Amino acid sequence: MAGIWIFVEQRDGAIRKVSMELLSGGKELASTLGEDMAAVLLGYQVGPMAEKLAKCADRVYVIDDPLFQYYSADSYGESLANMVHTYDPSVLLGGSTFMGRDLFPWLASRLATGYAADCTDITIGDDKGIIAKRPMYGGKVLADVVFPQARPQMATVRSNVFPLKSLEEAARGEIIHIEPKEDSSTIRTKVERAEKKATGKVDLTEADIVVAAGRGIKGPENFHIIEELAEVLNATVGTTRAVVDNQWRDHNDQIGKSGKIISPKLYMAFGISGAIHHTMGIDTSKVIVAVDKKPNALIFDYADYGIVGDLFQIVPALTAEFKKALSE
Amino acid sequence: MDILVLVKQVPDTEAIIRAQSDTELDIENKYSLNFFDEFAVEEALRIKEKLGSGKVAVITLGSKKAVDALRRGIAMGADEAFQIEDPALEEIDGYATAKTLAKFIESQGYDVILCGKQAIDDDSGAVGPALAQFLGIPYLTSIVELKIAADKKEARAAREIEGGTEIITCPLPALFTAQKGLNEPRIPQVAGVMKAMKAQIQKFDLKALGLSPEDIRPKTKILKFYPPGKRPPVKMIEEEFPKNVEVLVKILREQEKAI
Ligand SMILES: Cc1cc2nc3c(=O)[nH]c(=O)nc-3n(C[C@H](O)[C@H](O)[C@H](O)COP(=O)(O)OP(=O)(O)OC[C@H]3O[C@@H](n4cnc5c(N)ncnc54)[C@H](O)[C@@H]3O)c2cc1C
Ligand SMILES: Nc1ncnc2c1ncn2[C@@H]1O[C@H](COP(=O)(O)O)[C@@H](O)[C@H]1O
Repeated sequence: MAGIWIFVEQRDGAIRKVSMELLSGGKELASTLGEDMAAVLLGYQVGPMAEKLAKCADRVYVIDDPLFQYYSADSYGESLANMVHTYDPSVLLGGSTFMGRDLFPWLASRLATGYAADCTDITIGDDKGIIAKRPMYGGKVLADVVFPQARPQMATVRSNVFPLKSLEEAARGEIIHIEPKEDSSTIRTKVERAEKKATGKVDLTEADIVVAAGRGIKGPENFHIIEELAEVLNATVGTTRAVVDNQWRDHNDQIGKSGKIISPKLYMAFGISGAIHHTMGIDTSKVIVAVDKKPNALIFDYADYGIVGDLFQIVPALTAEFKKALSE
Repeated sequence: MDILVLVKQVPDTEAIIRAQSDTELDIENKYSLNFFDEFAVEEALRIKEKLGSGKVAVITLGSKKAVDALRRGIAMGADEAFQIEDPALEEIDGYATAKTLAKFIESQGYDVILCGKQAIDDDSGAVGPALAQFLGIPYLTSIVELKIAADKKEARAAREIEGGTEIITCPLPALFTAQKGLNEPRIPQVAGVMKAMKAQIQKFDLKALGLSPEDIRPKTKILKFYPPGKRPPVKMIEEEFPKNVEVLVKILREQEKAI
């Protein structure tokens, strides 16, 4: 029994960034343990992605089958359970995405093993087991979780936890094709269609830069100044629940307890008061900038840099200044 | 149509919570029904109301405080309440919780099981999928819309995914985990609260379920709790506009290398 497995998530022909980050982190964990790292890729017409992964991992397990075009625990989960039984990895990591958080707890219970959700670090303990660090109670407490006996040790990990490294040429991995046992009658959940928002932007949970506005923006008609700043920085736009409740933005854009947990390299908050339910969602951001007209706004307790001022003055000026700086 | 809803009493989002020692938390005594479970209860009631028949039962696994979650469910309109309580269940993980709940639910008739997307204490989101696995039924997580077909044999749900939603169908019985956006939970009326105070709660312990402590041994262990790292104190940029904007951009580029 050995080896670290990374569940590689793909949608629409592209590998998720968090999966590439996990391959980078997994490589280091594997070398600390003196074990191999394998990538597991399930989907349909994923050949080119498998080739790419073979340059990063020691082995790539692939299922390439029309039944695997859409994710379902009945297909992905059952197959993974079989693969784990056959090859016996000691660790299985995946991204803390909607798919990862749907699949992993199901799979862990199927394998009668342990699972740690939404982790912000994975390290190796003295006993060579993994230590999964995870926020609980909305980030008020952190916990180190260990897996006393059960294997594989399963965890989902947030974006931007492991730095993305160039792994190509690190390995020339073997590609192992697996025939699925499922047929269309065993897959009970059927995806009728996916409705994508046409923004073409990286999702909030994966974005390197997030710019957000709260109720201070006053109305949906003013969001264009935030969009323009986002455009210049190639950032994703986020918001607060107060804004979503007013129907100024879609719930998809909400950051916080009842929205999305983000961990970008830079988070900029404009006209956001900094209620605990909101800041729970931004705790693991690297640099936080806040602009609010109230000097005592709670958000300044969380920010690294703050400006007291009117967002309607500051945001356009920032957009212009970044534009200037980036064109130099 | 029989609908089971899993409910959990958890520290309120406003409660102060601190790591007291490596293994103990100091939790302010402010508890409420898990935020996401309210959507689950509400959805169950709406399905029943729409079909004009059926039964909604609320189920919890937990000791004393957990009863309040059941009473809240009854006050909102649930018909029945079940509590699974046993000293051996005090310190268990999602795996063991799901396994125990599955053992109880196997003895119940049901068409739909609803639970929260995650409990806001452990923030795991593990119990729903694990329970569906133990029961061998399909499941959909993080749903924001649910429609039961007229023949009551199929459901169509919308689930949130990155950057959009997916519309998925599945046969019943099935399990669904509720995300915010599914509905607007009702506030219990006085009559409901009165009913809840008098409601009889049916209790089960491990023995009644035919489980031994060995069966529910957790698969994970918390080595230690600790407070989140404090963010360094904020640096306010005090220059007048527009100088402050220039300074900020310079810091973000040159010092933080964030852009
Ligand atoms: C169970 C629960 C879950 C919740 N989940 C979430 C969640 O997931 N996400 C979330 O965000 N909230 C959540 N909330 C709501 C949260 O408590 C706050 O109500 C919300 O975050 C406030 O949003 P806001 O900062 O946009 O608005 P406000 O609190 O109204 O703040 C607006 C800010 O804008 C500033 N401002 C106004 N005009 C200007 C200007 N011209 N220039 C600069 N600044 C200006 C004001 O000084 C103020 O600080 C939740 C609440 C509960 C009870
Ligand atoms: N002890 C419990 N009793 C009843 N339901 C629970 C319990 N723990 C978790 N659940 C349900 O499972 C959901 C997910 O919980 P968790 O996996 O702990 O995040 C919750 O929203 C509840 O609906």
